[in-house]
Amino acid sequence: MSSAWFVYMGCAAVLLFLGLYCLLTMRNLIKLFIGIEILGKAVTLGLIATGSAKNSILTAQALAVTFIVVEVCVVATALAIIINIYRHTKSLDVRKLTQLKG
Amino acid sequence: MMAVQIGLLCGLVVFSLLAVLLRDILKAAISLAVSSLLLGILFFRMDAPYAGAFEISVVAGLITVLFIVTIALTKAEGDVRESRLAAWIFPLFFVVFLVIDFLVMRRLLGQISSVPSSAEAGTFGQVLWKNRTFDLVAQVGVIFAGVFAVLALFRKRSKHE
Amino acid sequence: MIFLFIALPLVVAGILPLVGKVSPRVLPDILANAVFATLLAVALLSGPSLAGQGAGLGPLVFLGEPLGVHLALDGFSLFILIVVSLVGLCIGLFSVKYMEHYGHKAVYYALLLIMTAGMNGLVLVTDLFQVYLFLEVAAIASYALVAYGLGHDELEASFKYLMLSAVASAFIIISVTLLFGLTGSLDFASVGRGLRGLDQPLVSALCAALFLVGFGLKAALIPFHAWLPDAHPSAPAPISAALSGLLIKVSGIYALTRIFFKVFGLTPALSDALMILGVVSMVAAALLALGQKDIKRMLAYSSISQVGYIVLGIGLGTPLGILGGLFHLLNHALAKSLLFLNSGSIQMAAGTRNLEEMNGLSRKMPVTAATTLVGSLSIAGVPPLNGFWSKLIIVVALVQAKRFGFALAAILASVLTLWYYLIIQRRAFFNKPDAKWRDVREAPFLMTAATVVLALLCIVIGIFFTATISTWIEPARDALAEGLQVIQSSIGNQ
Repeated sequence: MSSAWFVYMGCAAVLLFLGLYCLLTMRNLIKLFIGIEILGKAVTLGLIATGSAKNSILTAQALAVTFIVVEVCVVATALAIIINIYRHTKSLDVRKLTQLKG
Repeated sequence: MMAVQIGLLCGLVVFSLLAVLLRDILKAAISLAVSSLLLGILFFRMDAPYAGAFEISVVAGLITVLFIVTIALTKAEGDVRESRLAAWIFPLFFVVFLVIDFLVMRRLLGQISSVPSSAEAGTFGQVLWKNRTFDLVAQVGVIFAGVFAVLALFRKRSKHE
Repeated sequence: MIFLFIALPLVVAGILPLVGKVSPRVLPDILANAVFATLLAVALLSGPSLAGQGAGLGPLVFLGEPLGVHLALDGFSLFILIVVSLVGLCIGLFSVKYMEHYGHKAVYYALLLIMTAGMNGLVLVTDLFQVYLFLEVAAIASYALVAYGLGHDELEASFKYLMLSAVASAFIIISVTLLFGLTGSLDFASVGRGLRGLDQPLVSALCAALFLVGFGLKAALIPFHAWLPDAHPSAPAPISAALSGLLIKVSGIYALTRIFFKVFGLTPALSDALMILGVVSMVAAALLALGQKDIKRMLAYSSISQVGYIVLGIGLGTPLGILGGLFHLLNHALAKSLLFLNSGSIQMAAGTRNLEEMNGLSRKMPVTAATTLVGSLSIAGVPPLNGFWSKLIIVVALVQAKRFGFALAAILASVLTLWYYLIIQRRAFFNKPDAKWRDVREAPFLMTAATVVLALLCIVIGIFFTATISTWIEPARDALAEGLQVIQSSIGNQ
């Protein structure tokens, strides 16, 4: 595999780490969701980079485009939930969401 | 030529970093949009114009709009203060992660030989329609799911549970 | 024909809002249940013959252009389709009355149908990326369904579920990307061949591990189970039944099994990993279930425990083990849905989920009490109900493979299971009724009918288990046969 592929995948890994870090340490609900978005970027970058290295850039684009569509729907649903949570608790602090014991 | 790519990649990471670290959510959302923009440009340079165009218009555009709408609808009294601990734990973890990442990636993936895939024929449209047709059915499914989810979550309540 | 399983629910879901505007009370219910009934009929009647021919949907010709649609129906897929349609029908019937006070039933049914379409799609495709896509279809529908009541608890549970599920999906798609990079293709057969040809143990292991984490989270195996005890109790009862009875099995266990058997082949390392995860979930969740006061939380932990059983059986990899695991999947789907639906009946009648408050409801709600008894005994593994046979098969398979420690753990977990189910029975139904339950009445007909059907199935399958196994389970097991050979040869060499 070409060295360019490694660079891209390394970058995707960094973004992955960033996203997971955001999920683990942030407390604002919307910030938490930004973490998920960053994970999405990592995936898209990985897909296109792999397609580019394997000379199947068209298939990879089809995959990436479909993935972005999925991402949009997840974002819409999640933000709808967040807005509803806000209406209940008047706050976006995830520490307030501790009613269930888990 | 590689230099531009590297520059874009760095920008991508930096702006994503900012999106995580900025206290003001609005600025964080905008930072996320910028990093999406950079990713889109990166895709264009990687000969993936469709992905690039889609990324910019949808992620940097539509999703950012959704974020801003949510932020506007949820103006909380007083900001949520992020923990002070994050300020120094983060760089530490990041450095450790980078070192491990570099070592592992070098050893793990350096030995990959892989099956070369056949040369691709046709345009993007053809590939999307002929090879990945069923993905489109799935896309319809996801879009339905998203639309109905939003409908369900924002419905007018006449009686409360 | 196979395409119907995905197309029909989606199309009906699409027109439901319009129907809902026209006639909000009756038509959506009829339509949705008709869909389930139709799918069940198709699956039962024409399924076996289609599966036997190894039917797939090869390149279709649409408007003169060949389209690349590759679906395949084999014994395993058919098995899941039947379970989904059957349980879906009962859930649909139950929802007619139960969802009255939640409002907007058309949207609810639309989401339920979309979730079904997603699950059906998942079992019919032959392509890694499409597995991911249909997984997401069902998942997004489930996020909205968990939060459907729009109360504080539901929203909190749904949000946590969404976050964890999104991370799981990310891991899954990353693994798919890596496999695409290694082998240049996405469909099961090609990727499997490519991997075997390449011999890249480290990267394969990485991909397998990523899948294990991702699908393990969807199936709620310990240590990836954190979302389930909150999500299942907070959701409306029919949705709890759908999640526990169907979604964790289809998007978790089916996907895991299919990919591991068809793409990677069940190596000894994988088998051990699955068995350990299975046994830990089985025992730990059973212990956790003992301390619960909320009936639905207890049922939720029980689901995690039973999923452990299924994974243990399948992970063992011997033909008998897989048979037991798949049979238990069927039995648990029936019994657990039954129990969750009943908890909904109790909640609707008595207004509580707290076991310490319910006392002696059996006189007031005889049908619910009886069906709950059947469901509890089934999962606890009491003969001659269906759960007993599937658990027995798993234990026998473990003993045959000389894994005595695991067998012992399975028996221990069974005892624990029996214990906490008896607690439910005693607290909720026996004892003398409290005065406050004076006005409690049995649940409406459609709700009880649905649960009676499930209970009857538990009994009938328990009695006729050999027939059930040979007709539905063995073809499913045989469809997974390729992956078996890897472990067969390794056991033979010991």
